[in-house]
Amino acid sequence: MKWKHKDLLGINLLSKEEIEYLLERGKYFREFLDCSPKKMKYGEGYCLVNFFLEPSTRTRVSFETAGRLLGMEVVNFTSEASSFQKGESLEDTAKTLSRMKFDVLVVRHHQSGVAEYLAQLLPLHVINAGDGMREHPTQALLDLLTLQRKFGYFQGLKVAIVGDILHSRVARSLTLGLKKLGAEVFFSGPPTLLPLAMEHLGAKIIFPVEEAVKGVDVIYLLRIQKERQEAGYFPSIREYAHFFGLKEKWLDRENSRPLIMHPGPVNRGVEIGYSFTEEDFSLIEEQVTCGVAVRMATLETLLQGEEQ
Amino acid sequence: MKKILIKGGTLVFPQKGVFQDVDILLESGLITRIGKGIEDSRAHLINASNLLVGPGFINIHVHLREPGRETEENLLTGSRAAARGGFTSVVSMPNTHPPIDNPILVRYLLLRAKEIGLVNIFPVGAITVGLEGKEMAEYGLLKEAGVIALSDDGRGVQDARLLYLAFQYAQYFNLPFILHEEDENLSRDGEISEGKVATLSGKRAIPRVAEESLMARDLVLAYRTGARVHFTHLSTSLEVELLRWFQEKMPVSADVTPHHLLLIEDDVLGLGTEAKVKPPLRSLEDQKALKEGIKEGVISILASDHAPHPSEDKSRSFSEAPFGISNLEITVPLYAKALIEEGIINWVELWEKLSYNPALFLGLDNKGILEEGRDADITIVDPGTRKRVEVSNFESQGKNCPFENWSLPGWPVYTIVDGRIVMAEGSIVESEFC
Ligand SMILES: [Zn+2]
Repeated sequence: MKWKHKDLLGINLLSKEEIEYLLERGKYFREFLDCSPKKMKYGEGYCLVNFFLEPSTRTRVSFETAGRLLGMEVVNFTSEASSFQKGESLEDTAKTLSRMKFDVLVVRHHQSGVAEYLAQLLPLHVINAGDGMREHPTQALLDLLTLQRKFGYFQGLKVAIVGDILHSRVARSLTLGLKKLGAEVFFSGPPTLLPLAMEHLGAKIIFPVEEAVKGVDVIYLLRIQKERQEAGYFPSIREYAHFFGLKEKWLDRENSRPLIMHPGPVNRGVEIGYSFTEEDFSLIEEQVTCGVAVRMATLETLLQGEEQ
Repeated sequence: MKKILIKGGTLVFPQKGVFQDVDILLESGLITRIGKGIEDSRAHLINASNLLVGPGFINIHVHLREPGRETEENLLTGSRAAARGGFTSVVSMPNTHPPIDNPILVRYLLLRAKEIGLVNIFPVGAITVGLEGKEMAEYGLLKEAGVIALSDDGRGVQDARLLYLAFQYAQYFNLPFILHEEDENLSRDGEISEGKVATLSGKRAIPRVAEESLMARDLVLAYRTGARVHFTHLSTSLEVELLRWFQEKMPVSADVTPHHLLLIEDDVLGLGTEAKVKPPLRSLEDQKALKEGIKEGVISILASDHAPHPSEDKSRSFSEAPFGISNLEITVPLYAKALIEEGIINWVELWEKLSYNPALFLGLDNKGILEEGRDADITIVDPGTRKRVEVSNFESQGKNCPFENWSLPGWPVYTIVDGRIVMAEGSIVESEFC
């Protein structure tokens, strides 16, 4: 496939075929990850900077691993260590990084739209690792790869996403991806965190959660942030856990039990109670491994596009 | 449980808006038969000739003061007052000490109510933790424990965003709101209504906008969120107009108290602290608008806002005395005087507003309706006989009542809850007959 994007900013900008291509390469890298020793020379000579202005060890380490496994040089630039806090503007900092001649910039920022802004400003490849409440495309790709490996198809697959949809870039990107691939998506959670306008993403809102998860193949639980309670969206963690945390009766069916996914890290006792075993949510571990694979696929694809 | 046969009375069917001279048989907590000439030699017989027999009255707004102020009122004294007042169900407000903002307190109230076993007590949960207006209470857990609605009664919710989120969140649990509207920046330390009496007496005024502006805001919030809201104790004509306007757009309801229909601001001069109440007694024009609203059906529920206070507190100076009126056992005769004697509504309509409509709003499917298979909650009223109010004889511990010595018609003579007679001829039936 001839790749025509300089950057990976969001699932919204990708066609069905482009998503399928990235998943195919992701599948290749996922299999590669099961071999040892695993070092590729493909990315040698290329340099990646992780530009993380919002803390996230997991995603940053995943990108760092993907880059190194491809043979790239990786530099981390995180908010704690930066001069950024001393009043330097985003534009100045980004331009400085660009002048250091990095090839790929992976950016995470709390403002929606920052990845796009940097992509227009800078000549290098920009990968969005989460911008505000907008998109988190590599998370969606890793979730899609996990589902593809498990089910082998998307057409007609039923996925319920439960929790704080309003603030979730994970839910946005994943829903856009699932819809493009032909899956059905249902949203549920506290109504304060699930305004009706969320249906513009192509999902159907169903209350209560018990109804939304009826007959689905997958229940995707979103991580709930303590600060949403402080901001008044729901009254307490114990009430959230009681009504919106995973219930055995959501899984209890005659035929196949729905599979459980979560972007991690799981708040044990909140989204998933202590009564559930590792086996109940084994896909969550697979999601982590698929994360490295789809990030390798993304880096490879963007750099390859450059060669063409 | 023994059967009860009520013969010779006039049955009131508020759901159909009709009277019918038929008999009714109660058995095992249910209405088992309605019809002409029912005979049952094993049933306890109530002769209801010249009496009205209808579904039990449901009082959507009472203060029972438990937990925290049991010496001022409690579930037992409040239940006795309710039974005497013809109420088979009461909805108790959460502004107790501590407030009902926690599932454990709800469970405690329901256990106590069951132990007492006189009337049905439906607790309301707090909208905000501690009624402080800062954070949402746990509506889901409160509902599971048994609350029937949400209210911060005694206070308005000042923070618009908090109530906006609460309106959205509570819908997940199907909980309606009962709203006391009062903008505290406007009511401040006011004592009586703005107007002639406040001006002449020099008492601090509570402007009408204190209630009206918050009600207007909350109508908009309910309209935009789809929440089911009910406004309690309306007192001004503009509130009736606001309600009328929004009823074209969405389901929304309101209630009044008997005192706002029978007293006006001028009465504060003669009655003193006994007439100090929130919202304050307003003008004759406001009172007329409330009655018009009732006649039209815009105001669809009649409540009490029974608010008992100890005499020591009410005998303080006007400024220091608490707001509130004790009226639970005379609510029905007060409405009979204010609405039926004045020809504003008839007994079927009164029954609709005291039983059918509150049951509908609260989702009590088996109450408020006379029909075979429904709950055997029955109130029997003597529409003809007048009696004087003797506050010292109240079952309620609250003797703070401005209606002492008033002559009223329409007293309840039997209260039957779950197929058991709890009040007969004005007296509480202490133990179950068998
Ligand atoms: Zn009130």
